[in-house]
Amino acid sequence: MSEKKQQVSRRQFLNYSLTGVGGFMAASMLAPMVRFAIDPVLQATGGEDMHAVVDVSEITEEPQRFDWTVEQVDAWYTSDVTHSAWVYKDEHDEIVALSPTCKHLGCAVNWAGNPDYPDQFFCPCHDGRYYKNGLNVPDTPPNAALDLFEYEVKDGTLYLGNVKENPVQEGGA
Amino acid sequence: MKRGKGMKFVGDSRVTADKQKFIPKDYSEYPGRTEAFWPNYLLKEWLVGAVFLVGFLCLTIAHPAPLEKMADPTDTSYLPLPDWYFLFLYQLLKYKFASAQFFVLGAIVIPGLAFGALFLAPFLDKGKERRPHKRPIATGLMLLSFAAVFWLTYEAAAHVDWEEKAENNKPELPEDQPSVEIDESAPGYALYEENSCINCHGGDLTGGGAAPGLIGIDLDVEEIKDIAVNGVGSMPADQFQGTDEELQELAEFIVSVNEEASEEE
Amino acid sequence: MLQKIYDWIDDRVDITPLWRDIADHEVPEHVNPAHHFSAFVYCFGGLTFFVTVIQILSGMFLTMYYVPDIENAWRSVYYLQTEVAHGQIVRGMHHWGASVVIVMLFLHTLRVFFQGAYKKPRELNWMVGVLLFFVMLALGLTGYLLPWDNKAYFATVVTLEIAEGVPFIGEMAKTLLNGDPSIVGAQTLARFFAIHVFFLPAALFVLMAIHFIMIRKQGISGPL
Repeated sequence: MSEKKQQVSRRQFLNYSLTGVGGFMAASMLAPMVRFAIDPVLQATGGEDMHAVVDVSEITEEPQRFDWTVEQVDAWYTSDVTHSAWVYKDEHDEIVALSPTCKHLGCAVNWAGNPDYPDQFFCPCHDGRYYKNGLNVPDTPPNAALDLFEYEVKDGTLYLGNVKENPVQEGGA
Repeated sequence: MKRGKGMKFVGDSRVTADKQKFIPKDYSEYPGRTEAFWPNYLLKEWLVGAVFLVGFLCLTIAHPAPLEKMADPTDTSYLPLPDWYFLFLYQLLKYKFASAQFFVLGAIVIPGLAFGALFLAPFLDKGKERRPHKRPIATGLMLLSFAAVFWLTYEAAAHVDWEEKAENNKPELPEDQPSVEIDESAPGYALYEENSCINCHGGDLTGGGAAPGLIGIDLDVEEIKDIAVNGVGSMPADQFQGTDEELQELAEFIVSVNEEASEEE
Repeated sequence: MLQKIYDWIDDRVDITPLWRDIADHEVPEHVNPAHHFSAFVYCFGGLTFFVTVIQILSGMFLTMYYVPDIENAWRSVYYLQTEVAHGQIVRGMHHWGASVVIVMLFLHTLRVFFQGAYKKPRELNWMVGVLLFFVMLALGLTGYLLPWDNKAYFATVVTLEIAEGVPFIGEMAKTLLNGDPSIVGAQTLARFFAIHVFFLPAALFVLMAIHFIMIRKQGISGPL
């Protein structure tokens, strides 16, 4: 070995090798385990199917609550879960299906749930209110409009899918 | 903890304030052919460890961990065997002198003596001599027990048909409902799809929110044909739009799926 | 930056001597495979420790999916093995590691025995080592019940029968392990899980710490 100033000492060289070997061991040991642990994050959230909910003829201009049951597969546990939606036809005869989950803290809202506001959705937990189109009433706890279900009508039956953000803006009521 | 006059501490703690800068020991300070643990010796150990790890990972990838059927206490044909490192005990309890009225001898006394002796070895073998051939009793007993354990394990394992055992105990996901393999290439299935039955009754004929499932129904071909044309309950009439032959085909398909389902149960 | 953080901590708690003592200790020639190839027998102890580390890590990760419940235990194992990425490998590491650790422990014990390394002054360390061996066997025993497959169930029934055969305290010991005087089921699985995941590892850590501290104190036994 030459006597250069920048020369790596024997101890340094061994330390580097040690770090390398140690890193190799740690990496090959932990790689499968970490991949295993983060699997749920990387799992594709495949588009949920549309589920038949109700006959279109039953839908009125007044929001009604409809329930449907979905077989929910939670890893090794399969169960039947009931979902519900508030469904009505708006003035353009378009179907509107609103999620009943309050945007404040996730309670379930009811149409005309408060006799003082017969044409609003009302959340009993913190007195949150929404207009018929799902927009939150200003100065009540929620800070966003009720979510909207994706829907399609096939052969006279309403199918509902995933929830999406409600596009209504303020003043739309 | 060194304490004394003139020593300074960090705050009111017991950590000395005046530390010399640390300088690793020089290699010349290691006597003879000894060497520093870090990094010299540890590097050698880790190299062995890395080779070992690669081998170990290859083993786990080449041989997936076995999983047998879900526990079924009513399975009388199952031959229970412990993991290999308990096989010697399992085998020992098969012998006459270690079972029945001698059960306590086989299950408790013999293993107890063996492991007790192992535990107390330093007090049973007190001589100064360390080399194996200079303490023949200790060495002999150890070799004997090693041979015995090895032989018992072999005896226990040799008579088992491991492959057949694994074959009979393949893991199967227990099903709660009768499930049927639906032949999606059948012409009946195509009609089922074309005539929009699939929209309400589902791709696997198990139904949905708006319509019941079609598996497990007690209807014959004629009744199904009638329902497809005239509707039933909330199902509207005239759902079926095809020819009479197609109608027959569709009804027969649904009946055949039901027959399969009842066989499976 | 790192150096500054280290200095800041070292200034307060004086950690340098702790690890310097381990880093600088002299490793004698006779255990060094660079000088004597036969010194590889001294690796078994270290490899046992290494596999134990693998066991601890893979076990920690496995409990992210596993549930100790007779309805779901098998399903969760089946799920993590078939559906979760690398589940097969992680469970494989834990499964094969359990066997490999016994093999390594066995070789390490034989090395120490035939070299007479348990003699004065190392009697205590030998005894701690034998206790470690028992803890490891107990970990294996409680571990293979957990997947709740046929092997798990029936092998555990046999184990509990043996426990029952112990004179005087047998019945009690069996009920204690089983959680129920006769049913091998929900309570058994919950108990074995607790023993496997909390009680035995706690004992393992304490014993390993004692084992290693004593090795540091006494040094490795000399050449034959």
